[in-house]
Amino acid sequence: MLAVDDVIFVYAGWPDSYRFSMEAAAGEITAVRGASGAGKSTLLDLVAGFLVPTSGSIRVGGADISALPPERRPVSILFQAETLFEHLSAARNVALGLPGERVGSPRIAAALAEVGLPDIGAQRAATLSGGQKQRVALARTLLRDKPVLLLDEPFSALDDETRAATRGLVQSLTLKHKWATVLVTHHADDISAIADRVYLLENGVLRAA
Amino acid sequence: MALAIAALIATLFWSILSAAAGQPPGTSRADIGYLIYITTLQAALSTVLSLVVGIALAWALNRLRFWGRTFLIGLFASAIVTPGLVVAFGLLSVWGRAGWLSGLSQSLFHVPLDLPIFGLGGVVAAHLILDGAFAARILLARLDAIPQARLKTGQSLALDPWTRFVVIDWPALRGTLPGLAAIIFLLAFTSFPIVLLLGGGPSVQTLEVAIYSAVRLDFDLGLAVKLALIQIAICSAIILATSALAPIVSSLDHPAVPRWRDAGTARVLQWGVLAIATLGFASPLLAVLIDGVSGLGDVLSQRAFWNAVATSLWIGAASAVLALMLALIAAAGRASATSRLARTALGASAYAYLAVPAVALSLGAFLLVRNLGVAPDTAGPIVVVIANALLSLPFAMATLAPPFDAIARGRGKLIRSLDLSGARQFLDIEWPLIARDAGLVLALAFCFSLGDLGVIALFGTQDFVTLPLLMVRAVGAYRTHDAATIAALMLVLTVAAFVALPKLFGRLADAGR
Ligand SMILES: Nc1ncnc2c1ncn2[C@@H]1O[C@H](COP(=O)(O)OP(=O)(O)OP(=O)(O)O)[C@@H](O)[C@H]1O
Ligand SMILES: [Mg+2]
Repeated sequence: MLAVDDVIFVYAGWPDSYRFSMEAAAGEITAVRGASGAGKSTLLDLVAGFLVPTSGSIRVGGADISALPPERRPVSILFQAETLFEHLSAARNVALGLPGERVGSPRIAAALAEVGLPDIGAQRAATLSGGQKQRVALARTLLRDKPVLLLDEPFSALDDETRAATRGLVQSLTLKHKWATVLVTHHADDISAIADRVYLLENGVLRAA
Repeated sequence: MALAIAALIATLFWSILSAAAGQPPGTSRADIGYLIYITTLQAALSTVLSLVVGIALAWALNRLRFWGRTFLIGLFASAIVTPGLVVAFGLLSVWGRAGWLSGLSQSLFHVPLDLPIFGLGGVVAAHLILDGAFAARILLARLDAIPQARLKTGQSLALDPWTRFVVIDWPALRGTLPGLAAIIFLLAFTSFPIVLLLGGGPSVQTLEVAIYSAVRLDFDLGLAVKLALIQIAICSAIILATSALAPIVSSLDHPAVPRWRDAGTARVLQWGVLAIATLGFASPLLAVLIDGVSGLGDVLSQRAFWNAVATSLWIGAASAVLALMLALIAAAGRASATSRLARTALGASAYAYLAVPAVALSLGAFLLVRNLGVAPDTAGPIVVVIANALLSLPFAMATLAPPFDAIARGRGKLIRSLDLSGARQFLDIEWPLIARDAGLVLALAFCFSLGDLGVIALFGTQDFVTLPLLMVRAVGAYRTHDAATIAALMLVLTVAAFVALPKLFGRLADAGR
């Protein structure tokens, strides 16, 4: 589904270069491991279109997306923090997933129900717990319905129990909607719990582990 | 030290109060009600318009990337130190009856343009130029500080420009607006030189101008005192009302900027806003420079001019050094104070000055000096230096308090474990970290003092004249060319000081390490 093919990237004015090659299949969770500062977020930024590779190609379902701006790429991305706009209601946050979507639409209610939060649509995002926030963000991803889901340490701020539950939700949504999910993490237990395939990023090079 | 500042202000305040008690009331027929109304009206208009312009300009600057952007932002940042006199004069050169636009319309359509530049329109326009640019600089810093992840989330969601503003920008700006509005309102409410030049007589005045005329033109001290008390009361009320709000955090660093441009109409709008704002802000300043050059020879040969330059420079330098010392001591004291009460008191004493604006403060000093039996001529220079230093103290504190707090928070334990104390601690640890900010404080204080008219207007004499006072006298005597040259020189001096001093101090600190 997602294929990163010999992508080379250099931060302007910095000596180190990165070389990424990976594949992520639909319906699977592909984990990327690596020490802090190894370049994991850099990889996701390249796939999401916030950074432009020096060379190489990024393909989704066979089509090269490396020339598309971030807003036109077939990907959804979730960060550890700042996934929701805090002053908006949960439903409005979900509605932002589809341009022109109304807050009261049944699809939003359905998406919130699917992530197990049927009753919090009217609540302000700032008042939600960390786990609830990530669930609402996942509901927004459901509405967007893009084939690739990028997760940049989405569970890091959660306690162990919530972490396991959110992890399970990501796994079941990935399976059900046939997403190619890329999970960046440096927690070994995330990987053993849900990863179907693992890559290791070390010294600027990404390789299968 | 803070106590000394507070005591000084209290003494001046007290001398106003005791003078109020001693004066027979109602010797003048001035309509105080109208005065308050018109002062408030122009300040409110200036505030609302400045915020609207500031938001639009910050929005445009945040989105657009072009050659010279950093320079342009620096130009808008210098609005905080541009003397009101210079802007007012430049506004006349561009929009006035004999100005550029009128000349253009004369040669194109054979009719001169007669815009209502004197009165409410002109005053608000001049405030808008200065305070709109100031607001834009502050608000731009808020937009630039929006977390990367939030921007990336928004961009990935393909938010349209309007939704982007509502969902991402507005929440970042909202918290700053009340405090910013209060500052702009106070600046406009206590505006002196702009209103003096553009107010067009009694129809549009501020309390400051009325106090000045009461003292210098009508010799009605009783009225002056009454007006000063009203002004202090209103300003204090505003400060008290807004002191509960979050303070404005000013930041002058350049965080990494993501590339997320808006498309379509929004982008056209951004270029439009930028073009209009740049023209509106730069054209009066440019006009001052161009007009100034033409009269250069005349002015340079006048002895009075060189005396005023010398006076302005030494007063500016002295009050800058004094302001820096006061701010350093107050900021260091505040950062190391352990009790909350002490911290608040040290912070508040600096801001108290905002409530006791230039003319009111100098009126207090004027009365005090008179009561003590000292001739105003002798006391003049000292009072002007002290008053100008106090004038910059709020801004000096706002600049120095955050780095001192950060040092105290981050290094408190380290410093204690090394057992550095007093002067050693300051020279070894704090000075290198704050040198640049100290340079900024010196620059701000120097520029404020250089452009000050409110204080010098009461204490100036035939022999004790600064550049702004000389300029106002030239305007009064219809020597417009002289005034233009003086304005141009003031502009060059302030911008040079504002740009050079922080850089110089940064270098010195780097070299010392
Ligand atoms: N805009 C930039 N310019 C230059 N260097 C950058 C930039 N952004 C990140 N870097 C550097 O690139 C390296 C990789 O950063 P990246 O954020 O991808 O690491 P990471 O693996 O996600 O780390 P973490 O686990 O801490 O999130 C780091 O050394 C970082 O300092
Ligand atoms: Mg990272």
